[in-house]
Amino acid sequence: MTDKKMLLAIFPDVNPAAVGIKTLRELGIQDDHVDVISGLPITEAMMGRKKHPSHVPTIAFGGAVVGFVLGGLLAFWTPISYPINVGGQPIISGPPSVVVLFELTMLGMLLSTFVGVFLDSKFPNYEPKEYVTEVSDGKIALLIDCLGDDEDKIISALTNVGAESVRQAEAHQL
Amino acid sequence: MAVLADSTKSFAHPIEHDHEAHLREEHLMLDPRPRGEMNAMVMEAMTTTSWKFWAVAAFLAVVVVICLGYYWGYMITSGLGVAGINRPIYWGIFLVNTVFWIGISHAGTFVSALLKVFKAEFRRPFTRAAELMTTFGLVQAGLSIFMHMGRVWLSYWLMPYPNERGLWPNFHSPLAWDFLAINTYLLSSTMYLFMPLIPDLAMARDRSTGWRKSLYRVLALGFRGTEGEWAHLRFAMNLFAFAILPVMFSVHTIVSWDFAAAMRPGWSSTIFGPYFVIGALQSGISAVAMVLIVVRATMKNMKYFIRPEHLDALGKLMLIISMAWAYFFFNDYLVQWYNGDKWTDLLLHFHEEGPVGWMWLAMLFFNIAVPWATLWNKSIRRNPTALFAIGFFVNVAMWFERYIIVPTSLSINRFPFTYQFYKPGVEIPLSFGTLALFILLYMLASRIIPLVPVWEVQEGQMAHSLKKFGNESIITISDLEE
Repeated sequence: MTDKKMLLAIFPDVNPAAVGIKTLRELGIQDDHVDVISGLPITEAMMGRKKHPSHVPTIAFGGAVVGFVLGGLLAFWTPISYPINVGGQPIISGPPSVVVLFELTMLGMLLSTFVGVFLDSKFPNYEPKEYVTEVSDGKIALLIDCLGDDEDKIISALTNVGAESVRQAEAHQL
Repeated sequence: MAVLADSTKSFAHPIEHDHEAHLREEHLMLDPRPRGEMNAMVMEAMTTTSWKFWAVAAFLAVVVVICLGYYWGYMITSGLGVAGINRPIYWGIFLVNTVFWIGISHAGTFVSALLKVFKAEFRRPFTRAAELMTTFGLVQAGLSIFMHMGRVWLSYWLMPYPNERGLWPNFHSPLAWDFLAINTYLLSSTMYLFMPLIPDLAMARDRSTGWRKSLYRVLALGFRGTEGEWAHLRFAMNLFAFAILPVMFSVHTIVSWDFAAAMRPGWSSTIFGPYFVIGALQSGISAVAMVLIVVRATMKNMKYFIRPEHLDALGKLMLIISMAWAYFFFNDYLVQWYNGDKWTDLLLHFHEEGPVGWMWLAMLFFNIAVPWATLWNKSIRRNPTALFAIGFFVNVAMWFERYIIVPTSLSINRFPFTYQFYKPGVEIPLSFGTLALFILLYMLASRIIPLVPVWEVQEGQMAHSLKKFGNESIITISDLEE
């Protein structure tokens, strides 16, 4: 039984980082044991990895449905429940209701998208985390969850493919 | 070393070299610097503040206190009678300002979302500067509505809930739609401002100390830039870019329906929706150009990020939108003029020949003649002083346009015995107060919020390259956002 370790490898650019991930795979480190940290929205495809699952689209759709229903309640339920006869005009009319339905559907969708980002990314989270500030200066970091026995060979392999440094990751206050 | 330099010179084709050097100097996307250096430049721009900055900020704060604090307090304690609104002109400068500021707020979304959807690369360095205008513009629009209410302490009556007699706001009324649309837009645009800001706040957190570090630590929410965080943000930003556009169009269309849904001469027009939207863009884009020119001239390192190419692109947009505005204005005018209605005819003559006829002429001159006569010229578009002046005049003209549509059109109606001219009172200092507050908020935000989205700039720089086609170097762009 060997200890688990968290290594942090820093690469100067996207290309060597992508090679680094391939190298890790060859060493038997599965993709779900590696996380990529970057100051740029580099896509999973660039790194040769599977698309990261996200619940934000589902949450956004749910928010749109809730917004639509709320809009429907305001546009249809309130005039039916609290009717006011204005010059014999119909209590419910289609075209003006479209505006209310549209605004609340969009509000529901956009608000829930925003909330979805918070939920999926676990924001806000001020706990100490493994991170290096070089990331926001353009470096790409790989966080590798591995067994202690593999540490030396990972360090050696990643250094050979262009890692600037590979060291044990330490969680600290951001 | 000298030998090496000589040999390089002998092999390089001088014209080719000049052309490439010119392209790199011209285009920010072709002139990359290390990310750390760009971060440092943006941080330096935020943290370097001269006494002149604080002097201007202090002056604006005094204007805000006097014009907004004192005069609004005076109006609240004395009643709306101290404003110039009276029968038949119930909508005065407060609503002129509301429409004007909502118009200004359209620029941020237009620049950030529409140009992102169409992948217009020149947008990258100034999307945030424009988005900030949206948020602060909407704040002024909201304040103007509160001023217009008079009894501002009852503003919660606007909320969609029933009163003690079981009466809800009428959801068939454009005024209720306004409440929903403006709030939807304010919330959406604030979220749309904040999401792309998170990585830059994290960058600022990594490079700050003291109170700034504490502030950015809280605002960055613990963002590290993991694959998952970027994936969620990327999806959300793309969805927002598409979804916020119809919201933006709906807001000013609904504002136009406040007027168009009324059976009044001059207002009852089916084209008011797009006419208002294009008017909003006309003033908004011009305001973005003005703000960028000031930011570029006054903030450190901004000349690297905001270049003549950006002013050039905005100048072209201003010209195109001016043409579109002229089209909608003429379309609206011609149909009203042709319908032969006695009251509309009277109103149109009143616009042109009445006491504010000079405003009507100035509106056409600054909105059409000035941009068309100048912005076709590349050197004028790239000249900051000239572009600022054009943007200023366009904004003055757009304010005149709203003044003509709102209180001037209300002067003339179907009851000649009620004809009255509008004489604004306390509205004038309050208008200056909103302008001062807008500038003050923007100035203060520029000290805290990284005005340039560095990661977006770097992403753009990664995507751009020069490719040889024969002897010519051509700019090529890879689509990294797919």
